[in-house]
Amino acid sequence: MVSDQLLKPATPEERRRYYREEWDVKDIPEFISNSVQKREFGFDHMGRGPNDRYKVFRSMDLLRKFLRYRAPFAAYSSVAFYEKPQRRDGWIKSELVFDVDAKDIPIRECGCQGVCEVCLNQALEIISSLIDTLKGDLGLKDIHVVYSGRGYHLRLFDESVMTMDSDVRGQIVQYLSGAELPRNEYAAEGVTYKLEHFTIPFGYPQVFTDRTRYAILHLTPETQLDEVNQKLLKDVMKNREFLEDNQWGIFRSKIGPQRYLKLIRSIASLNMALVDAKVSIDLKRILRLPSSLHSMVSMKCTEVKNIETFDPFKEAVPKFVYERKS
Amino acid sequence: MVNVAFINPFSDEARQIVREYGNLNTIYQENGDLIQLVTRSPSQDISDEESIPHNIMDLALKRMEWYVKKRNNLEFDYRKYSYLYNRNITNFDVIAFYLLVQAVSVKFGPNSRESRVMVEAQGKLMESRMGELLLSEKRDILGTILNTLLPGEVKWTMFADLLSSRKIKLTDLVLDQGNIILDKDYFMENLGFKLEHRDPGKMYDLLIGDKIKELIINRMIMQKTEDYISEVYQKSQRQVEPNPILLELADKVTEILNQPMATYGYRGGATGKVEASPLNQEAFPPCVKIVLEGMKSGGRNDAIILFLTPFISYARLYPDVFRRNTTLRVSDVDPELAAVEKEILPLIHEAAERCTPPLFEDQPQEKVNINAKMGFGMHSEIELKHEGETTWYTPMSCEKVKLHLPSLCKPDKTCKSIGNPLSYYIHRLTDLRYEEATSEEPGEESKQESREE
Repeated sequence: MVSDQLLKPATPEERRRYYREEWDVKDIPEFISNSVQKREFGFDHMGRGPNDRYKVFRSMDLLRKFLRYRAPFAAYSSVAFYEKPQRRDGWIKSELVFDVDAKDIPIRECGCQGVCEVCLNQALEIISSLIDTLKGDLGLKDIHVVYSGRGYHLRLFDESVMTMDSDVRGQIVQYLSGAELPRNEYAAEGVTYKLEHFTIPFGYPQVFTDRTRYAILHLTPETQLDEVNQKLLKDVMKNREFLEDNQWGIFRSKIGPQRYLKLIRSIASLNMALVDAKVSIDLKRILRLPSSLHSMVSMKCTEVKNIETFDPFKEAVPKFVYERKS
Repeated sequence: MVNVAFINPFSDEARQIVREYGNLNTIYQENGDLIQLVTRSPSQDISDEESIPHNIMDLALKRMEWYVKKRNNLEFDYRKYSYLYNRNITNFDVIAFYLLVQAVSVKFGPNSRESRVMVEAQGKLMESRMGELLLSEKRDILGTILNTLLPGEVKWTMFADLLSSRKIKLTDLVLDQGNIILDKDYFMENLGFKLEHRDPGKMYDLLIGDKIKELIINRMIMQKTEDYISEVYQKSQRQVEPNPILLELADKVTEILNQPMATYGYRGGATGKVEASPLNQEAFPPCVKIVLEGMKSGGRNDAIILFLTPFISYARLYPDVFRRNTTLRVSDVDPELAAVEKEILPLIHEAAERCTPPLFEDQPQEKVNINAKMGFGMHSEIELKHEGETTWYTPMSCEKVKLHLPSLCKPDKTCKSIGNPLSYYIHRLTDLRYEEATSEEPGEESKQESREE
């Protein structure tokens, strides 16, 4: 259970203690340190947004000194690599990034107002399924997961995608999140056959099936879906146990083909919000710097080494939180 | 046997045809061989002399006319263009293709309506020709072209440009370990075993078969056409005087493209133009209506600045920007900036005020961004002297809205047939005007009465 002392904003004194006593420049992952001179850095000193931008550091030691002495409310670095990062000029390439924010997951079981253990776990499950698709279907490598404080960032350094533009990145988001209804009519030699997405166990139809199953299994009676009325929602929840065994055919027949179509159309549009597409398509975005403090919730932005065992409430809590008086 | 050049004008065979072709001036000369091939093409209508190309210049124009009429005219007569599907015209057709590409490149450049239509026409012609081939011929041609264009493994990352221009959708491809699955053996070995109760061979035919290969080849050749247009344009910039033959051909292409606007237009309008006119909020799409009601914190900036400002300004001043494809400035339409001051800005500012919290309350600097998105630079006041310092942003497409502001997309019936909120507006505006014009007096009165009730 999460202690009352967690998820509260850090005081300026706590920030200073964190950067002086706990934080180490070596905590910054290599994927940042090996490109520090090519990136733009941004800082939020007062908790009003990152308005100290266009910062550059010629070495990790200068970055270390800056963070240690300024103890900012939040620290960020660009996903982009520039020839002249101080002017955001001479764009070379950008990481491909996916941001899953726990509070923005389209169907949340917890129903909490902000972020809690349940929705953070859900965010990690989503991240895990995105990684499977990125590797299995898209064949991408060099993927890093970062706990951001309120969710997770997937950061890809595969050279084959780093020079891709926003439009291609938008298509990747749609593919990964299952945001488009797969076609269900296929023709060969003049004859057309109907094939539902769940009968095709690979490629995009499989991605769509996985994301749709996940959404349906997480529906709650309070979930609002376009085109899905209370009666349909109730029937879906009553019959969703069939999906646990992948018995899609039975599930579909219980719901009825027309209503099934409405359901999956609605879930496809909801899936678009699984990741924050704005972050993925923005080539010049700044992202929270791993190892820095998320002062709003007093959590460390932490690279996740093992996604199976990672627990943010064990690995991303700064020491000062344990020393707070209740 | 079909010559590959009939489908792929960038093949070695096609280049050979170009190399062997003589003097460019002969394209105007009556060509007996061509006329004979045209008139003897199966099911060709020869009753109308106008529909027979007499020389290569004619053939080039007929290629464009075929596409424009096919796309716009429901009464399109296939028999008038049957020769375009006749494989024996390949030699003439390749020359006509290169003439067209060079003409539109030199005269209009790559970012023009003429170039865009040329690329689309080439894609559609290839598709139609493939559809006319025997299955065995089609497979031979597909195999030959694929081997030339894509030897070895086919990675999806090789198609960044096609994905970027949405000529190909990632979700249409069958992907595994980064490869686009085209080869049957690969499919059977790596994916076929996952299928239950289905014949993997048949599933390959259905899911991949010839269709994906055809799609990829088609889109690659369209992309090559686009690239070639850019290349020719770059070269032409270094030349002193373009060939007058090409300029003349380019002008005739424009005439053909203007025909549907004059003849078919938007729902039969006399000129096809949709003029600037006061805004009719009844015709706004659902996404715009949502923003006008006020956004919550989070999506406020993008919704007001990037989405609403371009939409309202274009809807009011230049609604058919995408169809006319000509860059204008706000003052070209609104020289005194009266509509901007009295109609456009108030509407945008009111929507910003309705946000929670009101947008300008915590971010007053966003007023400047609204001015910037209409082309008036980063200044707090809209003044003509600053116009052009920034670009007048065109409205986001529906695809972009779904990515940037997914919460806005609540499509209704009209949305299904459009790709941009501005097209929705024109569509509905035309409908509303039509309804208004066709409603008869007594009906109108009774409508008013019922409204009053």
